[in-house]
Amino acid sequence: MIDDNMNDRSEGVDLLSKELTLNMGPQHPATHGVLRLVLDLDGETVKKITPYVGYLHRGVEKLAENRNYMQILPLTDRLDYISAMSNNIGYCTAVEKTFGIELTERTEYIRTIVGEMSRIANHLLWLATHALDIGAMTVFLYCFRERESILDLFEKLCGARLTTTYTRIGGLKNDASPEWLEQVYKFTDDFPSRVEQYETLIDQNRIWLRRTKGIGYISPEDAINWGLTGPVLRGSGVNYDVRKTQPYGVYDKVKWEVQTAQNGDIYDRYRVRMEEFRQSNSIIRQCIEQIPEGPIISDAHKYVLPPKDRVLNDMESLIHHFVLITKGPLTAPKGEIYVATEVPKGELGFHIVSDGEGRPYRMRVRSPSFVHVSALPKICQGELVADVIANIGSIDIVLGECDR
Amino acid sequence: MTVMDLLKKIFLVEILKGMAVTLKQFFTPAVTRQYPKEKREPFIGSRGLHALVRDSNSGKEKCVGCGLCAAMCPSECIHIYTSEGDDNEKVVDRYEIDLLRCVFCGLCVEACPYAALVQTEHFEYSGYTRAEFYYTKDRLLENWDKYMAGDKGRKYIDLFWRPRSSDFEKKSKSEQDRSKA
Repeated sequence: MIDDNMNDRSEGVDLLSKELTLNMGPQHPATHGVLRLVLDLDGETVKKITPYVGYLHRGVEKLAENRNYMQILPLTDRLDYISAMSNNIGYCTAVEKTFGIELTERTEYIRTIVGEMSRIANHLLWLATHALDIGAMTVFLYCFRERESILDLFEKLCGARLTTTYTRIGGLKNDASPEWLEQVYKFTDDFPSRVEQYETLIDQNRIWLRRTKGIGYISPEDAINWGLTGPVLRGSGVNYDVRKTQPYGVYDKVKWEVQTAQNGDIYDRYRVRMEEFRQSNSIIRQCIEQIPEGPIISDAHKYVLPPKDRVLNDMESLIHHFVLITKGPLTAPKGEIYVATEVPKGELGFHIVSDGEGRPYRMRVRSPSFVHVSALPKICQGELVADVIANIGSIDIVLGECDR
Repeated sequence: MTVMDLLKKIFLVEILKGMAVTLKQFFTPAVTRQYPKEKREPFIGSRGLHALVRDSNSGKEKCVGCGLCAAMCPSECIHIYTSEGDDNEKVVDRYEIDLLRCVFCGLCVEACPYAALVQTEHFEYSGYTRAEFYYTKDRLLENWDKYMAGDKGRKYIDLFWRPRSSDFEKKSKSEQDRSKA
């Protein structure tokens, strides 16, 4: 869109030296959703980028105020629909902290397994689309092959591939069968060799290196000041991971390391994510090896649906069942809580204000994508217009989560 | 830059390596499926089209019209209308699911205290009008006959109508060890 001002022409201003304002999106295949950017260009150099968000706004936070704690769960699937499982875990962890529910050991292990699987699935989709944006098309097909097998495993576990709704407040929807765990273990056997395949395709490829090395630099100080989290922050060399600093699940019981890189460019963010593939893979393996037998749902009947056979035979359970579903937990403690979990894209936080009723008084979602989009002008400034796409890809945003 | 690096650069070694990976794929079986022709069976417990359970004794629906599924539904797509019948019994006049609003979260199945509602594995339904996706009681019962009748429905309810007492009772191994010691 050229800002065509007749006055300029009449005054004899040199048109060739004029700055150009270019609109990109919201319907653009490389913006990973409905992100709209207005680029101010000086030749091929980006002077300024203004992101406009909100095209996918569905009012999740407001909807949450009108639903009880259990009904909010399907809404969280639709925040970051690429890794719905992580969002489920994040939300449930926050609510459980509010209510003070103790989780059983098996629940924690299964949650960690599915959380890491969803991290792998997310990074696979990231790698596929990011490489496609930059121009490496083959990787796309390879990544989707593995992502498909993870989604199949999700369907076997909980009945849905993307919008999983698997966790429950205080536990899980259903138990993971030994066969399922075996299939996941088999997947982790093959997966490292698949990661090597992706690396053979692009890691040393000269076109890939030219398009990623030294581009989209953000310094560690800036990354912290802009509130970046996840692989983008770690790519700048800051050793921060919610799974290490405030462990949830069984992250403190398995051996793994926070992956960091030093240069803070697109290539380093890519390296961090590739290493996270391996870390996630090893976390899943350790969890399956250590997983104990036991219940998958907590015993707190004030907050968790009572067993179905007791509902049919026991009056008190029946009352709990009806009250929990129609009104939500009536004895919810009052107060505020902010609980962060490390989803594949960064730190996903749920700030829940409870006024003692069955539904939250206010639920605020701190989504990593929103913060990362806000840092896009900083990352892109002074770079070439061709690298804008690569930068959008490297910060790994999903607009469902950004606009909520 | 060493000689080796120079040679690598001239002979496009890293690109050839990548090409070797893709070339290998020529000789492995395809992982893609030609969907409408080749279909993968949905896994048991896949959350698809709803069905109302038909009671094999009475031949009518098991549903008693308590309305818990409608209360639980986050997208408010279940509509139940009841009236008082003979012997002061509650009669379900209409039980309707607006499938176009449904998000297939499966919470209705979990909320039902009678195991009267299930989600079948059937996922291929399409139509030209909105009316086709408004499932009435009769159509939902038909779904049960079509997709869940016999052992299949019983197996589904055994596996997925949760939670049960057994979910709570199983003691973890570590706890048992602790109690022994």
